[in-house]
Amino acid sequence: MTHDELQELLGAYALDAVEPHEAAAVEDHLRSCPRCRAEVADHRETAAYLAHAGAEAPPALWDRIAGAIDAPAGAVPLAPRFAGRGSQRRWATALVAVAGAAAAAVIVVLGVQVRDQERRMDEMEAALAVADRGLAAAMADPAAVMMDLVGDGGTHVPVVISGRTAWLQAGTLPALAPGRTYQLWGLAGEDLVSVAVLGHDPGVVSFDVAGYSLLAITEEVAPGVVRSENEPVAAGRLA
Amino acid sequence: MTTVPNTGGMRPDDLTIASDAALVVAIGRWRQDALAEAYRRHAGAVFALASRVTGTRALAEDVVQEVFLRLWHDADRFDPARGSLRSWLLAQTHGRAVDLVRSESARKGREEREHRGRAEAGYDLEHEVWDLAVADQVRDALEALPEAERQAIELAYYRGLTYREVAAVLDQPEGTVKSRIRAGLRRLRDGLRDAGLEVTT
Repeated sequence: MTHDELQELLGAYALDAVEPHEAAAVEDHLRSCPRCRAEVADHRETAAYLAHAGAEAPPALWDRIAGAIDAPAGAVPLAPRFAGRGSQRRWATALVAVAGAAAAAVIVVLGVQVRDQERRMDEMEAALAVADRGLAAAMADPAAVMMDLVGDGGTHVPVVISGRTAWLQAGTLPALAPGRTYQLWGLAGEDLVSVAVLGHDPGVVSFDVAGYSLLAITEEVAPGVVRSENEPVAAGRLA
Repeated sequence: MTTVPNTGGMRPDDLTIASDAALVVAIGRWRQDALAEAYRRHAGAVFALASRVTGTRALAEDVVQEVFLRLWHDADRFDPARGSLRSWLLAQTHGRAVDLVRSESARKGREEREHRGRAEAGYDLEHEVWDLAVADQVRDALEALPEAERQAIELAYYRGLTYREVAAVLDQPEGTVKSRIRAGLRRLRDGLRDAGLEVTT
């Protein structure tokens, strides 16, 4: 389809009124055409007004939804959080770019999940067997903050932050082949800084977290790189 | 077990005044009260649209549940730079409702439903609690459209027809219908803006 033909479809597309093959063609095009993307967003905002006849939703329905999300933690998949995936942009550029954007947008791109505390505590406690005693002290600190670095496919790396020191439980990452290593990066201002090289089968690592607004872990060639062009396997924004 | 403070910083009582974008951030942190607030704000419109497109209360409820569960699990898929939470939820609602209406099983029962469904579905202006003034303005803007554009949009949006099906129903060329939907949406947007409604993007 030509650009003009695709453009003609945008109104119908925004109303879900196209055939599946046309929808696929439009979506393909939207990935590379900001102007058409903006037009679809515009149509959808307009269409949202057509739905504005907002009778109240049945109250019992909320109970159903609340019941469904109270399901056991194991049933809740960890969503992939790195929205830049699949784009042409280098993620490091993306990180730097989002650092200047509104906080809300940043969190949407690199979500920090503070969820499911009990399960995370269990993982942390299991990690204690190999962790240094500082982690135990941090976990006993009522002011400690816990978060996850998260990535695609349910990857998540718990982090405990107490004061300026962070403990990263990287044992949740799969072991890499020899010759490969995980590397931890921090975003300081607009600079992406290598915080630590974690090795191919990392355990608990502690580091000084002061000054970083984002943390990300990449997979690299051992013994690590100065500058990464790989997408992070897990990332998260620091509160 | 040690209690660990939430890094979210927002207290539950803040949520009623939080922006939609802030709500989504809190939902991303698995704050159920934030999802409840999003539900309070938008589930009425979601339910009304799902009811109108599917024609049955049971299917509409399934759609509402699905849309809000998706928001819960994939909050990060909402990108505030690309539009409002409301339009995002409604676009998902519409897509899902249309899928259901077009599916084979739905087609079988459709005729029967169309009789009893309209009464049951609760799309009833008398009972609207949402801003009636806005509803009036939307109706006015819709009625100000050229008849052919309004018809094409209504058949596509409210009945879940593809532009080809709309063309068949109206006995008009497909290309014409396609163009009318697009032109009509633009005209509608301008009309809404002229009426002082915000159409953000």
